[in-house]
Amino acid sequence: MFYIHDIAAISPVHELFASSPENTNIISGNKLLAVEPVYAGIPPTVLRRMGKAVRMSVGAALHIIQKHPQLDGVIIGTANGGMEDSIKFMNQIVQYEEGLLTPGNFVQSTPNGLASQIAFMVKNKNYNNTHVHRGLSFENALLDVVMLLSEQPSASYLLGGADEISSYNYNIDWLAGWYKKEEVSAERLFNSSTNGTIAGEGAAMFLVNNTRTSATAKFTSLFTSHSTDEAEIQKKLEHFLEKHLPKGEQLDLVLSGENGDRRLLPFYEAMEATVGENAGLLRFKHLCGEYPTASSFALWLSCNILQTQTIPAVLEKRKARSTTFRNLLVYNSFQGHQHSFMLISAVE
Amino acid sequence: MEKTQLAQEVKKKMIEFLNLSPLTPEEIVDDAPLFGEGLGLDSIDSLELIVMLKREYGIDIHDPKEGRKILVSVNTMVDYIETHRTV
Repeated sequence: MFYIHDIAAISPVHELFASSPENTNIISGNKLLAVEPVYAGIPPTVLRRMGKAVRMSVGAALHIIQKHPQLDGVIIGTANGGMEDSIKFMNQIVQYEEGLLTPGNFVQSTPNGLASQIAFMVKNKNYNNTHVHRGLSFENALLDVVMLLSEQPSASYLLGGADEISSYNYNIDWLAGWYKKEEVSAERLFNSSTNGTIAGEGAAMFLVNNTRTSATAKFTSLFTSHSTDEAEIQKKLEHFLEKHLPKGEQLDLVLSGENGDRRLLPFYEAMEATVGENAGLLRFKHLCGEYPTASSFALWLSCNILQTQTIPAVLEKRKARSTTFRNLLVYNSFQGHQHSFMLISAVE
Repeated sequence: MEKTQLAQEVKKKMIEFLNLSPLTPEEIVDDAPLFGEGLGLDSIDSLELIVMLKREYGIDIHDPKEGRKILVSVNTMVDYIETHRTV
């Protein structure tokens, strides 16, 4: 469907594919906060106003744009945008009785602030769109890219997904039972048998186009679904693999969005039964935590695995039988009702 | 409140309202220009400062010409606050 060229991510782990991937540090605690770099490309006067989601997005995007300035558009998926600034602004409305409000928090808080700040920084006046579909925000941004590239085959786009942990959405989701009540270390996340998971955040960016030469990976196909029935999702996965996995080829790796929430386990077990035992089974939510656009982190991981043909041991649930990896499936479920399958292939 | 104390307080509030940290009050020069040269503030900051004067000192600035004279430096702001504050 399209090729992924350059990739960048800001996440709770940033040395996963460094020279010693086995020594990757897993951050502990129920909130996995992204490790932010020194944002050298963002002027201090601009940086001081940015919320974390905007900072992470712009920081990761600039890493790509500085090498590829000619972009035909910026397309971002985010469920919440700058939620922390949004809450500050809402609190001001209440505190000052809808009177004198400052613009800073409002400007930074809207979800489309992420894509627009990226475009603003590099003076890109082309297509600029933000997709806000909760746990399928990044997938909808992907779909937008697929349609754009079918209309304009020679174009290149910046695609990304980002969300931040804000105290507000963490507390609301905690009360709703989406985060664990007890302290759980990230290393032990998958041994947990209770409800809920751990919170995460991050931004992942991709330069995508239709050019095969020098590509990092090929994005083959995408499927999204809303359902609370694991049997229905299992059937859809069977159909997806029949339709999109090239004839005569096998699935080498599966990147599972399993997140330690016992209520979601049946979906992932159904997926594991469908893909069989030949494919290596990998998990990633103990590294990045759960957030609505965590699938963008999964795509970033997938590109790294396929490009380097190496798998950090910290990801492995079941070793792959193959020693070379061509086809990789990402299955992610958000809160057990929004599901996505992404099929990614190595470029030879 | 003495003028030096008020200047220190204004600078602390400016850092809070304008997200200027890690800048400290001691690093803001009292007679340096706020906009362009000096502190390098911009038009959004001028709105934030107008809101700050209203909320913290009860001062309304309606006339842009008046605003340009007040928001020149920390010293000009402190002089105006001393004579016009209502809280």
